[in-house]
Amino acid sequence: MVEVRDLHKSYKVGKMLFPALRGISTTIGDGEFTAIAGPSGSGKTTLLNIIGCLDVPTKGKVLINNMDTGQLSTKEKAALRKKEIGFVFQTFNLIPVLSAFENVELPLILLDMPAAEKKERVVNILKEVGLEEFIGRRPNEMSGGQQQRVAIARALVKGPSMVLADEPTANLDSTTATEILKLMKELNEKLKTTFVFSTHDFLVMDFATRLIKLRDGKITKDETK
Amino acid sequence: MKILLLAWRNVFRHKRRTLITAAAISVGLGAMVMSNTLMNGMDKIASWNIINYETGHFEIFASGYYREEGMFPLDTIIDDPEPLLAIVRDIKGISGVTERVKFPARVNNGIDEFPVLAIGIDLNTEFDVFKTNKTVVTGHFIEKPDDILIGTELANTMEVDEGSVLTIITRDKYGTYNAYDFIVAGLITTEHPLFDANAVIMDINVTQELLSLGKGVTELNIRIRDESKVPDMKEVIQSKVGADYEVYTYKELYASIFEVSGIKRVGQLMIALVVVIIAAVGIINTMLMAVMERIPEIGTLKAMGFQNHDIVKMFLYEGGIIGIFGSLLGCLYGLLLSLYIVFVGIDLSSVFDSSDLGYPLKFVLKGTIDPALVLLVFVFGVIVSVLVTLWPVRRATKLQPVDALRHV
Repeated sequence: MVEVRDLHKSYKVGKMLFPALRGISTTIGDGEFTAIAGPSGSGKTTLLNIIGCLDVPTKGKVLINNMDTGQLSTKEKAALRKKEIGFVFQTFNLIPVLSAFENVELPLILLDMPAAEKKERVVNILKEVGLEEFIGRRPNEMSGGQQQRVAIARALVKGPSMVLADEPTANLDSTTATEILKLMKELNEKLKTTFVFSTHDFLVMDFATRLIKLRDGKITKDETK
Repeated sequence: MKILLLAWRNVFRHKRRTLITAAAISVGLGAMVMSNTLMNGMDKIASWNIINYETGHFEIFASGYYREEGMFPLDTIIDDPEPLLAIVRDIKGISGVTERVKFPARVNNGIDEFPVLAIGIDLNTEFDVFKTNKTVVTGHFIEKPDDILIGTELANTMEVDEGSVLTIITRDKYGTYNAYDFIVAGLITTEHPLFDANAVIMDINVTQELLSLGKGVTELNIRIRDESKVPDMKEVIQSKVGADYEVYTYKELYASIFEVSGIKRVGQLMIALVVVIIAAVGIINTMLMAVMERIPEIGTLKAMGFQNHDIVKMFLYEGGIIGIFGSLLGCLYGLLLSLYIVFVGIDLSSVFDSSDLGYPLKFVLKGTIDPALVLLVFVFGVIVSVLVTLWPVRRATKLQPVDALRHV
């Protein structure tokens, strides 16, 4: 469970302070499929980054499973990301010199796990995302949709409690985007992993079971379908 | 292991860049290997010439002679060498001992006169220590009291040949001028410039007569069985012969040559080091580019939970891999050039025709490869490559994950 309490974040642009989040408070339960929606500059990515311990708030708290992430050291945050949080990025962010298999395997090299188990997990998750025949291909040998599937597999392979996806379909055509969303939904239901993703795409919002709308760094709507 | 794989793949993202960087470092390392081979060869040949023609492994002088050796002081010679010879022969590990008389003289061909170093040798024991018997290229070795051997270069300069008559003029022990006529029995060619251009070799008995020395000799020359024991044997010989005599190793006698060699080595090493440092700047540049162009990837890795030490490790591996390639390439081309120097050699005859480099060697210089140094150069190259990578990698560690991910 993720609890966000009165979260503020300001960025310094030149000599000016630009407020990206202005007092966000919400709770995201385990297994939710939540979309954070809003126009550009509404604070979606900032909120996801702070929840994912990639950024720090100016004020307020984020508690993951009742643990205040603001109290964690850089090392502890890295350890939390390593085990509990998977990321999916708008631009896929796959390592170009590694194959699909190796990209998915990458988060596992940080975990103490037998090689056979690692291999089994990678193969299984690649099957789940429908890429069992593409395991030896490098990112530049795959379509955008296939690359995003690899990225989703990479985020899920370590069995995290939460996947944070920043505009996961923004670089995909609508057909591929629908496939990816269906896949994420299926995995959410099957693996019970919490999915939180940012979007300004109505298609994505339709898939979400909960929709949190942001505007100018504030929640304007929070509805569960 | 996977980080190493990632590093390996990253290195080959830009094959040409990696190759150029590795080639740059290889230039300096190869130069190090080659210059060492050359210097080893020079030292080896110089040592060989000194030991086999000039000093043996040790020289023994009467106490006080060596301090004024340049003056050839005939009043501080070994007056009766026989007891000393007997003592030295009994020392374990000695393979030969002989006696010589060295003195300055002038040699006259009837028209011109030239200053030379005259060397009286004991024909019975000379070859137990020296290899002068293998140097005669024209004529024969000394057989009669009035036979002398001279170097081919000196013969050319004086325009004399086998059978020519030469007059040796010198002062005896009491300062009186003395002159004997000799016949050139043979011409010698060594690889030692002193012998080929400046020396006259004759029978020690005639020398002693010419200088009024009686049985006296200026030095004893010793050869030992195991050359590596020269430093240990010095103490042994000195203790046996007592304080009336001074024992010197060939390295002590030619300290200036070996010191110059050391300085030359340092000089060559410094030049090679500068080349390596320039190449290291190339590695820094390559790694800096690698870090800059992979900032979003570094962000992704950090988002996955990779810590700074994992990122540093990856880049250090990359620097190390480039270093291994560069060092391998450098050692390989250094060894190839070295093999040429070892088997074909560098012809120095034209150099020595016009000048004296102060080294007791000439003709073809052949190198000697030192495998330990090649290994050292390899390790050095890799370590330098890894160490210089630390600086560009600092940028990667300072990046916050969110900033790295935002970087375009």
